[in-house]
Amino acid sequence: MRGFTISDVLTMLAAVQWTATLVVLALAFGAPLALLLARMCTGRSLIARLVATGILQLVQGVPVLGLLMFFYFGMPVFLGIKVPALVSVGAAFTIFTAAFLGEIWRGGIQAVHVAQGEAAACLGLTRWQTFRHVIAPQAFRIALPATVGFLVQLIKNTSLASVVGFVELARAGQLASAATFQPLLSYACVAAIYFALCFPLTLWSRSLEDKLNGAR
Amino acid sequence: MALVEISNVHKSFGEVEVLRGIDLTVEKGEIVTIIGRSGSGKSTLLRCINGLEQINGGEIKVAGERVHSRSTDLRKLREHVGIVFQQFNLFPHMTVERNITLAPVLTGKIAKGDAARELARKVLAQVGLEEKIDAYPGQLSGGQQQRVAIARCLAMSPYLMLFDEVTSALDPELVGEVLKVMEDLATQGMTMILVTHEMNFARNVASKLVFMHAGMVHEEGRPADLFANPATPELANFISSVR
Repeated sequence: MRGFTISDVLTMLAAVQWTATLVVLALAFGAPLALLLARMCTGRSLIARLVATGILQLVQGVPVLGLLMFFYFGMPVFLGIKVPALVSVGAAFTIFTAAFLGEIWRGGIQAVHVAQGEAAACLGLTRWQTFRHVIAPQAFRIALPATVGFLVQLIKNTSLASVVGFVELARAGQLASAATFQPLLSYACVAAIYFALCFPLTLWSRSLEDKLNGAR
Repeated sequence: MALVEISNVHKSFGEVEVLRGIDLTVEKGEIVTIIGRSGSGKSTLLRCINGLEQINGGEIKVAGERVHSRSTDLRKLREHVGIVFQQFNLFPHMTVERNITLAPVLTGKIAKGDAARELARKVLAQVGLEEKIDAYPGQLSGGQQQRVAIARCLAMSPYLMLFDEVTSALDPELVGEVLKVMEDLATQGMTMILVTHEMNFARNVASKLVFMHAGMVHEEGRPADLFANPATPELANFISSVR
């Protein structure tokens, strides 16, 4: 047994890079998917609407842990290949992000008054031009606070990757706890680091919300 | 050939038949006002003319083109048929200049930059709001917003303009400035179809008055004649009720 030292804290801080990697991966692949789903949900094609709504409902009804397990144990079974933990965990958080951001952005798009789209169409704009120049900028403003709020959820939820042995911040805390027999101190440290990451984002989300309400 | 030919148009919302066989022609240069009680189908008819609403029967031709035919490029048609709404529907996140130049630039009518700004200046001058070119819609009064909405239409140089109760959402003291702009347009020869409750405008500026009742054109003719000698009790009642 050894004592809890500053080097344990440094190891945890180093593990933040893997937490960050997961967040970046989830956003990089999940956000475009989310945009696609949001567009499908609000589009004219009934089939696209049904498919997208189905995906959103399904994923939102499954715990993130379930998604993680599914991709971690399922990918080798269904695809027949062994994939690195980063890939399966990244895929799970991508789907998670796509569903939740998709839902938030769908709400944003629908909150823009129908008449805005009509006015644009009446000026001879194509549907893409209407979305790009008239609907999306307004929807983005409306959905920004909730989007930043979701980012906080995402950061905290990446801690679940620790259960499949992916060494990010939470897993680093577990390891430190096991090595030092100081669980309280270790996990307090982990919690403090999560808080330091999330608190500024929460503040930012709040201030965006105030700005949005002020502008109305 | 008339600019707008509406023949036997039917339109239902679910079970409710809103338009029940409308016939109407509008010649180039005419100012047609449509009056009638709320629920008589006036606004619906207007929205059918530029294809915002589908129709269930009959046909509408604008400049010889069937609006509701599958082969018609609605987008092309709408570049020439402007519509101004009751609620202005300006784009709140864009300056007045960008509101006006967005469509002309995106549809390739005009180049971005100086030419676009020049166009915005020109149409804003027509509605008397040149100094507001860099303002956002939220910084303008209702009357000013509606004049910008008219300018935005004019920037597409339409050959037909539709006005859907454009003064109904305005405070009474702001109605005059918008009507003035519309009168100017009328004298410049613009073809206009308006749905309105402004009886003075209908009487003094319009070249044709259409009274709609229960989804049909109940009476139409020269405004002076209709106001002086309504042929039906429905129109007589309507005129006396809005006086």
